[in-house]
Amino acid sequence: MSTPIKIDIWSDIACPWCYIGKRHFEAGVAALGDDAPEIEVEYHSFELAPDTPVDFQGSEIDFLAKHKGMPAERVQQMLQHVTGVAANAGLDYDFDALQHTKTLKAHELLHFAKSEGRQLELAERLFRAYFTEGRHVGRVDDLVALAADAGLDADAAREALESGRFAAAVQADIAQAGAYGINGVPFFVIDGKYGVSGAQPAEVFGQVLTQVAGERDGAVA
Amino acid sequence: MTAADAASAVAATDGSSGAPAEASVSPFTMVTGAPGAMVCEGDVCFVPGAGADAE
Repeated sequence: MSTPIKIDIWSDIACPWCYIGKRHFEAGVAALGDDAPEIEVEYHSFELAPDTPVDFQGSEIDFLAKHKGMPAERVQQMLQHVTGVAANAGLDYDFDALQHTKTLKAHELLHFAKSEGRQLELAERLFRAYFTEGRHVGRVDDLVALAADAGLDADAAREALESGRFAAAVQADIAQAGAYGINGVPFFVIDGKYGVSGAQPAEVFGQVLTQVAGERDGAVA
Repeated sequence: MTAADAASAVAATDGSSGAPAEASVSPFTMVTGAPGAMVCEGDVCFVPGAGADAE
């Protein structure tokens, strides 16, 4: 039995193109059907905006227009664009409901979930909560509820967040990204060898997976 | 993007020669992929090498 192809993904819950890229990657794998190689996916932390307050008061437009000084009309256009692309990927983004926040604790929770074998379930739950449900993903109480939704023990999740025992793991991921020259997300590392930057189309992910599987077969033959 | 386009887009570039700017020190062989694929840095999302977009 061959070793699964490892997929390491650097992303942030607050990154709209990371959720879209996730869907594109999943579609790329699904499109391979029975030919899809066995894969193992691991999410790594990347904090896009460390200076974001946990309890930012205002909408996403407020944040980008007022906090970051971008023209409101331009922000509206950009959010409409990403909402449209998300819809094509089957995602119902709701920027009016979105609660902008700091994602550091969400990353700690993702590391806790990894230790419990439920990281993929939590990643999907957090992305959905943030971009489509307008849920807050920066506060401990909210994160504990989302952890429970993902099948994690609520008390254990709370302990993990309140103790901060996964904070070092988050920083290690961020440092690793820096060492790899990863400045933007999503960033996919396929089999520790190929780098894929951005929310690439599903076909690209399928193609690179096929290529890696073929290389492995060639190495075995 | 068609499957054929994607196939040609997967032509990989070595991270040390001609890869996108963000991968200039990447130890990975960069898959060039689609030129319009968006990435996010800080509060801004954009097509590498093109104009800025936002979240």
